[in-house]
Amino acid sequence: MSVAHATALAVLLIVAPALPGIATKTRAVLTGRRGAPVLQLYYDLGKLVRKGSVYSVTTTWVFRTGPVVLLGSLVAAALLLPLDGRDAPAGFSGDLVAFAGLLALGRFALVLAGLDTGSSFEGMGASREVTFSSFAEPALFLCFAALVLATGDASLSGMLGAPVRVAWSHAAASMSLVGLSLFVLLLAENSRVPIDDPATHLELTMIHEVIVLDHSGPDLALILYGSALKLALFGALIVGVFLPRADLAAPAATGVLVLGLALVGVAVGVVESVMARVRLTQVPALITGGAVLALFGIILLLR
Amino acid sequence: MSYVAASICLILAGGGAALTVSRRVRLGHALFRLLVGGGCLLGAGPAIAALIGLDMPDVRITTGVPGGPWVFGLDTLSGAFLLAIVTVGGACAFYGIPYLAGDAPRRAVHRAHALVALLVAALAVVVTARAVMPFLIAWEVMAVASYLLIVFEHERPAVRRAGMLYLVATHASTLALFALFAIWGREARDLTFAALTACAPTLPDGGAAVLALALVAFGLKAGIVPLHVWLPEAHAAAPSHVSALMSGVVIKMGIYGLIRVVAMLATPPAWWGWLVLALGVISGVLGVVWALAQHDIKRLLAFHSVENIGIILIGVGAGALGLAYGAPTVAVLGFAGATLHTVNHALFKSLLFLGAGSVIHATGTRDIDRLGGLGTRMPLTATAFLIGSAAIVGLPPLNGFVSEWLIYRSLLGSGISMSAIRIAVLATGALALIGALALACFAKVMGVVFLGRRRDATTHDAHEAPRGMTWPIVALAGVCMAIGALPALVVPAALRVGVLLSGGPAMPLTITGDPASAALTVYTLSVTTGLLAAWLLWNSPLGRRRMPATSETWGCGFARPTARMQYTSSSFAAPLVAAFRSVAGVHTHRSACAFETHAGDPVLDGFALPAWSRIRAVARWFHPLQRGTLSRSIIYVVAAVLVVLVYLVAAGRAA
Repeated sequence: MSVAHATALAVLLIVAPALPGIATKTRAVLTGRRGAPVLQLYYDLGKLVRKGSVYSVTTTWVFRTGPVVLLGSLVAAALLLPLDGRDAPAGFSGDLVAFAGLLALGRFALVLAGLDTGSSFEGMGASREVTFSSFAEPALFLCFAALVLATGDASLSGMLGAPVRVAWSHAAASMSLVGLSLFVLLLAENSRVPIDDPATHLELTMIHEVIVLDHSGPDLALILYGSALKLALFGALIVGVFLPRADLAAPAATGVLVLGLALVGVAVGVVESVMARVRLTQVPALITGGAVLALFGIILLLR
Repeated sequence: MSYVAASICLILAGGGAALTVSRRVRLGHALFRLLVGGGCLLGAGPAIAALIGLDMPDVRITTGVPGGPWVFGLDTLSGAFLLAIVTVGGACAFYGIPYLAGDAPRRAVHRAHALVALLVAALAVVVTARAVMPFLIAWEVMAVASYLLIVFEHERPAVRRAGMLYLVATHASTLALFALFAIWGREARDLTFAALTACAPTLPDGGAAVLALALVAFGLKAGIVPLHVWLPEAHAAAPSHVSALMSGVVIKMGIYGLIRVVAMLATPPAWWGWLVLALGVISGVLGVVWALAQHDIKRLLAFHSVENIGIILIGVGAGALGLAYGAPTVAVLGFAGATLHTVNHALFKSLLFLGAGSVIHATGTRDIDRLGGLGTRMPLTATAFLIGSAAIVGLPPLNGFVSEWLIYRSLLGSGISMSAIRIAVLATGALALIGALALACFAKVMGVVFLGRRRDATTHDAHEAPRGMTWPIVALAGVCMAIGALPALVVPAALRVGVLLSGGPAMPLTITGDPASAALTVYTLSVTTGLLAAWLLWNSPLGRRRMPATSETWGCGFARPTARMQYTSSSFAAPLVAAFRSVAGVHTHRSACAFETHAGDPVLDGFALPAWSRIRAVARWFHPLQRGTLSRSIIYVVAAVLVVLVYLVAAGRAA
């Protein structure tokens, strides 16, 4: 891991909690409110870390392990992304499978931690989480497959690194479709409107928030930070597709990444202000729609 | 090879000991453990030697055996399967002794132990046979021994029905094998595999008939949709350690046969590769959707075998396509992934079946919806089951991930090449769907059975299984973790199998260096170490400012939560089952005060059983022919002999 890699990773880890803040602020501004500060999540995390945790008597070590595995797997997945626009700290052929696998590992840990409480609410959230991700994961792989076809490289460092600029020159339509599809996935995987409303206050309508109902204190801090990091990871995928920056110097490339992430945050906020969330039963259709975008991209490339 | 022979003899002797020393139970068990364990250890040696690339000479027996020379050999492909057989076989044989101990007064338990030994020995012969005769004999011994083990609890009608279904399926498979070898052997010098390989180029249409028959014969054994109908029934009916053995290695003989036929035919045509890939996708997706709908833990695991056979077939299909389109990297990675996934699935599926056996042993029920909270009472079994679940879902850092990664790489590699094989890249989406649905299903099993609170007070007061039942499970979990943490140890061996199948060492992927697997190993090891360190730090006093407090689970203000309010497996899977309702095969019965769902098998209920009753209706026309009287039978025999004589005379005159 070089200095440039370490800097880019550190920057990603530091700016991640600002992303939900940017989205919320955009939504507030567009709906004519003042809204919470952009840095609200940092304050929340600081407060939660200082608190103690409360554990249910029903829970076992699975509950206590869940948050650590969730955050750890997301940090490990970040190591596979070419954050400086060239290559990843740990990249190899087929590393995109490891990327998806680590996201799945985090989800598995979180879902089991939820089920460990024996609460019907958390069971409900866990059930919804695995249901919607069952549609999101194939969509993610279709995006990856389109990128492999467009760039001719089967590693994240390749398909989001130097070959991206060339891919835009001969497959611009496919690349835009993949970028759009990834944005739908970002909304789905991170429980944003129109799939889930992070601001909802009714347990029966929640997806992500309800799995973590019994987590508290530092454990909840890990999960909240993990959610922000996951948003940043998907944001980095989108930035990698739309803003090829292999020609820039490393600090400039990292700067563009931060700028791009902020834009993604704004886009999420805009979507949240102009759309209502769809009914739970229609979420699979929505995600499948996102997958179809990637599929069109693949078909254009297979001509 | 002599070590393999000695190992097979030891295992058979172990079975014999269990059978003959049945009066003195403890001595019989000790002999059984010693001989079978020793035999399995002895068999692992040559298997590993074959996997690291040592050449072993074939053994030829030319005199005193029917059907031409009998040849036995051990190459890397056989080595991979043999290693799985002895590992899983040993674990299941040891597990079986305490598992069946409770049945001893009622049933002939020692016979079951002897049959397990016979089955393991027959499996070892199947993968080392290099001639048609010994292969078919061992194949039949395997089929019959499995049948006798399936009907162990034969007083239950469901068990007898499952046994009959299995018997029909396995003999249909044998019949197709007879046809296959009859077609192939017509031109061959003798019935050794070497002679069949030599005459493979002379087969009409590039061996289309042979390949189609191989798909039917081996597909029936492996449980490819729609030939899987026997599989869930048989696995649910058999004792758990037998289910583990069958799901772990017996059905894998179908995969072995398919891969062996491809190896002997050299280059299969492209249509066959596409067909296998499509069958793999169908089996994988439907298998896991059907599994999601199940309430019975053993039927659920059995449907996951159908799913994993699908994943393996995707690898085989990608490999065959790589051969057909001249993309060697795709071919090597596809076959390597398929082989490694076969071994991996043998390990974690037997682990899961043995774990399910311990649950059934402890609670007396197989109904997932009645269980709950077993994790605190059976901590070792629960932890091992969790590792097995994560492995079968294909999560890093466990072994299922490594083999799925190889198959993904093969499919993604096809996207880089320029020929029509590029379309295969779409299968990554299917593979991802299978993986995500499997995650949903195992989150359901793990969460509902082992986590939360006990749902039904009528289940026995659960307890951890006796030590003789926990250590085989823990050992299998250890192997799963070792393969997952150190892919560089096993991937070269798997690639060697791929190279063997793609004919010759002139490959872009050299044996010694697959840089990606080395990089994956470094990455996995550092991630695992990092996670462990983070976990330890987090749960140490350093990680927490304040001591955690305990309380009841937050019930959102509800005053009197009960254990029955927890999400059940049915409610957990309901959204996914609803999304796939057209293929899920769930029948719902509802009335004003009752609601019940029944998860069937659409192929069995909708197609196989109606077809079967048609066949029976036709067969009834021939009833009058068979009266069961001796005189009539003699007339039939004489008539048959006369017809044959007339035919022979006529044929002789024509010539």
